[in-house]
Amino acid sequence: MIVAETSPNPQARPAPASQQQPADLWHVVVLNDPVNLMSYVVMVFKKVLAFDEMKARKHMLEVHEQGRSVVWSGVREQAEAYVFTLQQWHLSAVLEADEAR
Amino acid sequence: MKRVEVKLNLEAVAPLLDVIKDAADDLRPVLAVAPHVPDHEADFADGWKRELLEGQNGDIGVFLGLFGSEFFLTGVVPLDPTNSEAILRACSAVRLRLRAKHLEPLGDEALESNEVPLEEMPETQQKAFAAYVFLATLQELIVQHLDPTGLE
Repeated sequence: MIVAETSPNPQARPAPASQQQPADLWHVVVLNDPVNLMSYVVMVFKKVLAFDEMKARKHMLEVHEQGRSVVWSGVREQAEAYVFTLQQWHLSAVLEADEAR
Repeated sequence: MKRVEVKLNLEAVAPLLDVIKDAADDLRPVLAVAPHVPDHEADFADGWKRELLEGQNGDIGVFLGLFGSEFFLTGVVPLDPTNSEAILRACSAVRLRLRAKHLEPLGDEALESNEVPLEEMPETQQKAFAAYVFLATLQELIVQHLDPTGLE
């Protein structure tokens, strides 16, 4: 499993039972913003999510053209760590529960 | 360790530092982007935002450190793997603030294409736009030459 470069402390603060999703699949979604450069976003995806150049560019273009891209899916704690790290790089990253389950 | 020394035009960059420092000051108590915090207790959200803000302030401190007395003597800013990530993030934060504070009325399309009515703009907005472009150039330079992904 990929480990985020830096982590807030979400692991130390588990969600209350009422907020835990039985499906336990969460998405890290990056939203478009009008400021960050395409090359910067590609670099951040490579650095934080360990994407290769092609995958990083694909997700960057999704963000740019469709307004959002799901860049990672998995367990909540790891997803939270990614959201935090992407926010450290000033990307608009949000955590979304998988609604399909 | 790869190191890049960038020689900047003092006459062009020094006048931008006021508007950059002004934006950096604005960011001391607030985040450049209001973060989406996952649902948890209130103190979780406070801690999340506090950690982001501490990081943002640290990055901006590293960035502003480039423009000390040495810069005004030589015009040179040294970039290397120890400061490049912080500078990249700080440039992003300050650009976000410059846009919110000075440049939003110009519209995203004009900002992206750099096609703005420079001569019609008030001086402060001209400087903010020049700073916005300068910071983007610095980011491009770091991404191209220092490869902060470490995959070089």
